[in-house]
Formats: sequence, C-alpha cells, structure tokens
Amino acid sequence: MSVAAHIFRWVVLTVFTAITLVPLLWLLLSAFKTNTELFASPFGLPAHWSFNNFVNAWNAHPLYLYMRNSLGAAALSAAIIIVASLMASYALLHQFRLNRTTFGYLMFGILLPVNALMTPIFFIVVFLNLYNSVVGLSLVYAGLFFPLGFLVIKTYMDTTPEAILEAARLDGAGFHDIFFRIIVPLTAPGAVTAGIFLFITAFNELLFASILTTDTDAQTMQVGVRYFLTTYAANYPLAFAATVIGIAPTVVVYILLSDRIVEAMTAGSIK
Amino acid sequence: MRQQFQIALYLLPALLLVTVFFAIPLVAIIALSATAWVGIGVPRFVGLGNFLTLFSDPAFLLAIRNTMVWVVVGAFIHTPLCVLVALVVARKPPGWKIFRTVLFLPNIISGTALALLWYFVFHVSLGILNGGLAAVGLKSLARNWLFDPDTALAATLTPWIVYVGFGMVLFLTQISTIPQEYYEAAKIDGASTFRQDWSITIPLIRRAIALQLIFVVGYALRSFEYPFIMTSGGPANSSITLSLYIYRQMITAHQYGLAMAAGLITILIGVVFVAGVFWALRRAER
Repeated sequence: MSVAAHIFRWVVLTVFTAITLVPLLWLLLSAFKTNTELFASPFGLPAHWSFNNFVNAWNAHPLYLYMRNSLGAAALSAAIIIVASLMASYALLHQFRLNRTTFGYLMFGILLPVNALMTPIFFIVVFLNLYNSVVGLSLVYAGLFFPLGFLVIKTYMDTTPEAILEAARLDGAGFHDIFFRIIVPLTAPGAVTAGIFLFITAFNELLFASILTTDTDAQTMQVGVRYFLTTYAANYPLAFAATVIGIAPTVVVYILLSDRIVEAMTAGSIK
Repeated sequence: MRQQFQIALYLLPALLLVTVFFAIPLVAIIALSATAWVGIGVPRFVGLGNFLTLFSDPAFLLAIRNTMVWVVVGAFIHTPLCVLVALVVARKPPGWKIFRTVLFLPNIISGTALALLWYFVFHVSLGILNGGLAAVGLKSLARNWLFDPDTALAATLTPWIVYVGFGMVLFLTQISTIPQEYYEAAKIDGASTFRQDWSITIPLIRRAIALQLIFVVGYALRSFEYPFIMTSGGPANSSITLSLYIYRQMITAHQYGLAMAAGLITILIGVVFVAGVFWALRRAER
C-alpha cells in the first residue's frame, strides 16, 4: 500500500474517533467542574475531582425514580416482545394457509416512521386508561419495537433443524411440549441478543416517553434529564452530571458486551 | 383442527401488539386526518381542509423541506462517509476492533444525551467549535450557531452526519461475506487498494447500501431529538422537522386532526422513498 493511502487511512480513523470521543470526554470532565470554573476555563481539567455535582443531581430531581421507570419500561417491553416473538415464530414454523400473510402483517410496521403515529397512539393509551404509567409506556414500546425483535428471533428460530422437531413428534411430544422443551432452549441465544438490543432501544426513547407521561412516578430518565436544562439553566455542570448518570447503564452494558451488542443491533437488519 | 387452534393461540400476543400499535393507529390516522378534533367531543368532518391548512402553513412547508434535507444529507453525505470508514476498517488496520467499538458507541447512547452534547459543542461561549476556531486564529468565523437561521439546520444535522458507526457495521457485515480470492486476483493484476475497493467492494455491498438508505429515510422521518433539544426547531422554524411539527400540533396546539393529517403525509413520504430505494436496487441488480 502506498504511503499516501496509509496516511489517508489513519487520518480517517483519527478524525472520526476524535469527533466521537472528544465531546463525550468534554461532557464527562465538565460534570466535575463548578459552574464558575466551567465558564472560566471550558476546556481545562477540573480543579478538584469532586462528585458533588453527581450527588446534587441525584438529590435535585428524583433521578432514582426516573432510573427505576426507565429500567422498568425497558425490561418489561423487552420481555413482552421476546415472549410474543417466541410464540409467534413457533406458530409460523407450522404450515398453514395464511402463514406468509401473517408474517407480512406482523412485519409491516418495520417500514413505518412510527413518530407519525404518535397522535392515535396517545389516544389509544388514554383509552386503555394507561396514560401516565410505566406499564402503558412499556406496552407502547413493546408494540413499536416488536417487528425488530421478532425479526431477530424468527431468523434465529428458523435455523432449528427440522429433524429435531420430527424426532420429538415421533416420540409423542405435543405442541406445547415441543415449544417449551425444545424450541425455547434452542432459541435462547437469539432471544438474549434481541433482548439486549430492545432494552437499549427502549431505555433511550424520548418522544413517546414525553407524550405519554406527566408525573415523576412514570417519567423516564430521558424526559427527566431535560428538566436539568430548563430548570437549572444557570448550573450546567449539574445537568452534565445528570446526563452522565443517565447514559451510564447502557454504556456499562456496552463496555461489558460490545461485540455482542454490535452484532445484535445489526443482526436483524442484514438477514 | 386442534393444531390450527393452537397455532392461533400462539399468534395471539403478537397479533394483538401489531393490531393495537400499528394497524389501528394507521386506520385512525387515515380516517381522522379528514376531521377537526380538539380531543373531546365528536370529530367534525372537514374533508381535505386539514391538508389545505397544512400546505398553506409556512412552518409545515419548512418541516417538509428540512426533512427532505435530512434525507438528502443522509443519502449523499452521511452514507458515503459510512462506506469510507467501513472500507478503511475492513482492511483490518492495527486496533480495528477498538475503532469499531468506539465508532459504534453513539448508537447505544440516547438521542437526548447526544443532542445535549452537541448543543454544547455549538454553544456560543462554552462550545468546542467556537473555542477551536479561536485557537486556530479564525475567531471571526465563530458565531451563535444554534440561534442563527443560516446555521441552525446544519448544526442539528451535524451529529447525524458524523456518527458513522451504524452504517459502518452494516457495511462491514456485508464486506465480510466477499470471498478473499477476488482481492487476491485483483492484486495479481496490479490493482491498487483504492481500485479494489471501488471496483470490487462497492458494487458487492449494494444491498447493504440500499438497506442503509431505507434506514436513512426512516431516521429522517423520525428525526426529533436533535432539533427538539438543540434548537426547538428554531429560530423561526428554520430547523423544524416533520416529527417535531406533529408533536407541536398535538402537544402545544391540541389540533389532533391536523396532527394526524401531518402524520399521514409523513407516512406517504416514507412509502414513496422506500419504494424508490427498492426500485433503484432492482435496477442495479439487473
């Protein structure tokens, strides 16, 4: 490879890595500063490494409630999607007349820009008496993100060898037995992959969380973090500390499982 | 017969989710887009009135224009950058896995946090951008990016343009399926790395490129966090998007019929673009 190509390659990698990391590091450093310090030297290191901002942010707004609601909505919606997807994918392993039509119906939402549906979904949630509740939000996420999880799980389940199912049937295993004893265990890795991805997606959602909740008892981290900008406009480092707390869960999961997550978030799309 | 009942039973939860959160909203949006409704009472039929109102509302026209800019910028600036980085990383330079992990990082961070981050990148006195310009002696170029109608839209587009991780991984996945022999044969023929990428890799990842373009359209039509948090769609609606417009009609103005009409137009735009991508891919496959 020529020297020019070599230099070009490293320039590309360096530039994109810097654009990705520098603002994040700035946010992290600024979360340790005082407000005066931030305005006096926005790009310097903090004078003292104190966790005051984090403690104050945690106490200023009920961050623990936001965190609980976010984690709850993310976990519940992922669980609902996994169960519904496992069941539906298993049903579609069988031959029946409307098999392909059913698959098409279950998947058509993946091509819809879901934000366009925010108005009717708002009224459906109100009608179901689930406005302003974590359960309502979880159900909406379960619906909106269902096609993504379903695609990953179905693709995985479809690789189950037909011979295994035949053998089980010959042994006299019933419809439910085969599902619980064979299909679910064999599809578990695919379900976990989908679960991680769905959890992160739901945890990070803002629009539906902000239109479907009004009380701190139901509001999520993404909604709550915004209050720090509007009500504490004079104290940016506090908002930064809250933001760092808000992104910590997904970043920690990512650091632990990065390869798996990269695979998970693109797995369904490429197949 | 018994098995058919069991199959139906297993399909039930999935069918319920899709019916309640996709099918019913879609039908509702089509039916109620022809009505005026403030949330209580009976929706009043207004025919095409909402659409006439929308197309004479400068904010809506700007929302459509800006959403188109999102699509165009995504297709012609963001996507080529994703391809470029994927081509570089696919050659497996030292530490390529670390680069892949770092570049993908923004995809697992919430749009809210990223928008907040870029709000401060463009901040007039605290921002890295103005700070950097001053440091290299270009202080005259520094400005209040987010409050200047000439730069607000570009500022809200910037994070989307530069976060290439998702597209990169999409392309890397397909590049990894290309047989190594193709490149070895090209090397024997004396083809440069650039030539190999241009004549072998890019044509062979056209399916991934089509997929990426579908994601770009979807993302553009859903773009909400960056304008909402960085500029609130301003100044003077210069950075408003369709999602933000619907949100405003619904939450601020309580014009639900109008919001649904705007939603329907958003969906139709999506259908047209996605069909266009499929059509282009068909032609390329021939």
